[in-house]
Amino acid sequence: MKKQWGYFSLSVGLAIGATLAASSTFAQTVDTARIEAGGQNDWLTYHGSYKSYHYSPLAQINTSNVSNLGVAWIHIPGRSTRGLQSMPLVADGVLYYTGSYSRVFALNGATGEVLWSYFPELDEALVARQTHSPYNRGVAIGDGKVYVGTMDGRLIALDMKTGKVAWDTKLIDSQKLTVGFTGAPLYAKGSVIIGAQGGEWPGRGPIFAVDAATGKKKWEFLTVAGTDEAMKTWGNDSWRTGGGGGWMPGTYDTDTSTIWWGTANPAPLYDWSGSDYKTQGARPGDNLYTSSVIGLDIDTGKLKFYHQELPHDAWDFDSAVGEFVMLDRDGQKLVVHPNKSGYIFVYDRSAGLKNVWRITQNSNFVKNIDPKTGELIGRRDFSAGKVDEPLCPHISGGVSFNAGSYNPKTGLYYKLGQEWCMTLDIVKTTPVTAPQAQLNIGANFKIAPPPGGEIYGHLDARDPVTGAKKWEVRFPEPPLASVLSTGGNLVFVPDSRGTIHAYDAESGTELWSHADGTGHQGGIVSYSAGGKQYIAVTAGFGGMASDDYAPTFGGVYKSMPRDDGALIVYSLK
Amino acid sequence: MVKLHLDIMRMLPALAAAATLACAVPARAQSAAAPDNDALNVEQLFATTCGWCHSDGGRSAGKGPQLMDTKRSDDFIRDRIKNGKTGAMPAFDTTFSDAQIDAIIKYIHELKPE
Repeated sequence: MKKQWGYFSLSVGLAIGATLAASSTFAQTVDTARIEAGGQNDWLTYHGSYKSYHYSPLAQINTSNVSNLGVAWIHIPGRSTRGLQSMPLVADGVLYYTGSYSRVFALNGATGEVLWSYFPELDEALVARQTHSPYNRGVAIGDGKVYVGTMDGRLIALDMKTGKVAWDTKLIDSQKLTVGFTGAPLYAKGSVIIGAQGGEWPGRGPIFAVDAATGKKKWEFLTVAGTDEAMKTWGNDSWRTGGGGGWMPGTYDTDTSTIWWGTANPAPLYDWSGSDYKTQGARPGDNLYTSSVIGLDIDTGKLKFYHQELPHDAWDFDSAVGEFVMLDRDGQKLVVHPNKSGYIFVYDRSAGLKNVWRITQNSNFVKNIDPKTGELIGRRDFSAGKVDEPLCPHISGGVSFNAGSYNPKTGLYYKLGQEWCMTLDIVKTTPVTAPQAQLNIGANFKIAPPPGGEIYGHLDARDPVTGAKKWEVRFPEPPLASVLSTGGNLVFVPDSRGTIHAYDAESGTELWSHADGTGHQGGIVSYSAGGKQYIAVTAGFGGMASDDYAPTFGGVYKSMPRDDGALIVYSLK
Repeated sequence: MVKLHLDIMRMLPALAAAATLACAVPARAQSAAAPDNDALNVEQLFATTCGWCHSDGGRSAGKGPQLMDTKRSDDFIRDRIKNGKTGAMPAFDTTFSDAQIDAIIKYIHELKPE
């Protein structure tokens, strides 16, 4: 049910706010210009700013004093089924973050005092039927409101100061389609953009824009066969098995009023076409616009440009996972985007391909991707039956949805790579076109180590455009949390065992670490409140990729809770 | 052409909602999870759905427990399929009929090493 409130500016809201007991801090307007500027003391959007650097310019905490970092405060959201995956946002000393079941909290960033909280009432019977659920990756802020998506297909706006519902718009018939929203929304130019889950279900993977003031839907883009041109790339009406979606936030190019978004894989995940995927198999054709990066006009939702990173993706390597790092190099405006396969694509601001480089060591789903044309060379398309050589990387990806960080001071991109493979037995299935049972995999599979080695993860410091590696730190189990780098020349990596590490951004030397009590798979940010710098990280394990950790690695993962989590905030003692 | 009837969760007026849903679902070929009277191809069901956690068609432990040679009672398995386990397994009570769950249990009991 939709509630409609008249639009009120923050100056009016301020007067109202003064009479409300909830907030003790004064929030200034968060608008597109402010998000673009990427404030010194704040973290105003999921990726840090529209440039998506996951970087804080703050340098109060730096290489000379990071060993003095200690816990300032902790918050426990409760009911953290499948752990915590969210990226906190901070504006003017107030921290906003979510827990599972789309629980939203506003906290005093200096003290941890809860200013307000909001727990939406969800269709719990539906949530119980979902697989990729009930975690939430975070909120967006703008226009005086905090926006959160739900697993039952709604986008909710809360007053930033009080947490009261401004509007609650149902976008997806989740009861019918079984999918909802896990990703954080994006606020830009008076609109809130959010993408649905989709890759494993028979839908058309919509991305929505909603008017921030009123909650009215402005437009919807279907990532599966969303244009006439795209429809032609799904043979035998296979658009009905669909997939797609855009389950992580992209970004906004203010120069061109363009929304950049990554789309998810098609279904079934694994095809039985053999090499002739254009005419044979479950979904003959390139399957546009799945596993692609797309540029949409923010006002109309019309497609402006796209690049399909994996035509006829036969390996579940979404383009939905990655951040869009907007940087300039030698006078060229570029966009760096990781695909789940572990190939990193470099584009100009119209998705014209400039380079492709690879972060993974073990990768055989293709021999290579041509860095000039993007052509997949030596692609492995399977037929029904057991696959001889294990497929690398594993279905959890060469990279996952946790973001890397670009540090403009060092010029380096700090990104986690994952080294694991899988045995595969392709099964020719009858088309799943109605969403009854969950998922549409198309194969039996098991995790396997890379040939001749062990599974591991690695943090690389790389040139984002050329891929040239400066240093690498290895982890026995791949870390699944986002990375943060700062102006204090530090890189923070929260690992899967539960330790948060700080490294020297230039050399990779470990300078500090601390045990957070449970594995990390969410966000990490830095902000300033009352003149003091803080590092905020979510801890709490249990998402899809982490499902393999206890059976594969044993050790601490066997006793690690999968229904608990906390927000832990550090500052200098 | 088999019409798909979905049993909606208890919260909604079951009949009206079910009728709406059945009409709204797009025309489709026979799918792996078919309604009451159709035999369920459980092997395909594992390849589309269950295999995410129950590897090798249920023969290996992985994200989920090994199903082959299970010590669990049929009642336990039926309850687990219908109601799931919070944060670990989804609930399939609105997806499968009792007859289809019987077929899944039969498949589990008949699992042999490959």
